[in-house]
Amino acid sequence: MENTATIVLRNQKYEVKAGSTILAALNKLEILPESIICVRDGELVTEDVILRKGEIIKLVSVISGG
Amino acid sequence: MKCKKCGGKAVINMRQHNMGLCKDDFLQWLPEQTQKFIEKYKMFTPDEKILVAVSGGKDSLALWDMLNILGYKADGLYIALGIDEGISYSSESQRLTEEFANARDLNLHIVNMASDYGTDLPTLAKETRRGRDKPCSSCGLVKRHEMNRIARDFGYDVLATGHNLDDEAATLFSNTLQWNGDYLIRQHPVLAERDGLARKVKPLFRFYEREMAAYTLLRGIEYIYDECPFAVGSTSTQYKEILNQLENEHPGAKIHFFTKFLSAKKKGLFAEPTTKIVPELHICPTCGQPTSGQDVCTFCRMMEKSGQ
Ligand code: SF4
Ligand SMILES: [Zn+2]
Ligand SMILES: [Zn+2]
Repeated sequence: MENTATIVLRNQKYEVKAGSTILAALNKLEILPESIICVRDGELVTEDVILRKGEIIKLVSVISGG
Repeated sequence: MKCKKCGGKAVINMRQHNMGLCKDDFLQWLPEQTQKFIEKYKMFTPDEKILVAVSGGKDSLALWDMLNILGYKADGLYIALGIDEGISYSSESQRLTEEFANARDLNLHIVNMASDYGTDLPTLAKETRRGRDKPCSSCGLVKRHEMNRIARDFGYDVLATGHNLDDEAATLFSNTLQWNGDYLIRQHPVLAERDGLARKVKPLFRFYEREMAAYTLLRGIEYIYDECPFAVGSTSTQYKEILNQLENEHPGAKIHFFTKFLSAKKKGLFAEPTTKIVPELHICPTCGQPTSGQDVCTFCRMMEKSGQ
């Protein structure tokens, strides 16, 4: 399992396949793209970027209640 | 993905507008759109005094930030509810709000339930029957009352809240599921002043929640990321998730649901009720705010029972 990237949402970490898009990973993880934004190295990125080997993508949940 | 305006690298894809934007263009577009809707819905003018209800969350801080950028005279109001429940929710959101205000030299009013009323929201919710399983209804009551009070006491023309499109669509969804006619009639981004209550406006009602999250991130605004512990698993959160599933299949579903409701109302498709559903208002002898009851208002009754 070398060719992976990590997706982090709140306290959850997911190992996903590198080389495909964030969107493909989100679909696999059943995370709605509408409910999050994606951050790579502190920068906001769109879901069509390709996951690089070994990188960490942080998801920021956008739903707030109340 | 490319930015629709400049061809640079997009940081956000807004599928409902079929538009991706880069950082600079997005940070220009959002306040411009806000300005456009402020004017279109005649929310307020640059001469008016605005009170922004700030919670320390992303939407209200983003709203305050934009009003400031757009040159409006907007002060903040933070209501310290004393919701800590092990995660210091209120104290942390107050700290972030104060930091935001200080860094920009903005004027912030703080209402403190503990020092002003000798109680806090979790206590109030436990004491009242309506609040026991639903702290949010007591919370809403407290917030409304205190926003109206500060607006009146300090002479603000208008009260602005950070409700975004997802909030409005979830409320509309809930009101529709229950055919809550009196709420449907009143749900609007602008509520005119009446009975001594300030006008209420929602300048962010056209933006998706994720756009507001993107804005705060790109502007480097620090906000409270944890949810209020009482919001976890709430029906409004559930409705937002359902609407997001729809949105995922049909981009634009959320915005159409809400804006088509507004235009249907404008065309008169929601008639005024033939029987009076809005009770006549009286003035509460304790606080002077309008109330539907004959005696002291629900807020004052709640405070009499609690604390002091
Ligand atoms: S979730 Fe409920 S209790 Fe918490 S701040 Fe919002 S309205 Fe108040
Ligand atoms: Zn651009
Ligand atoms: Zn009263």
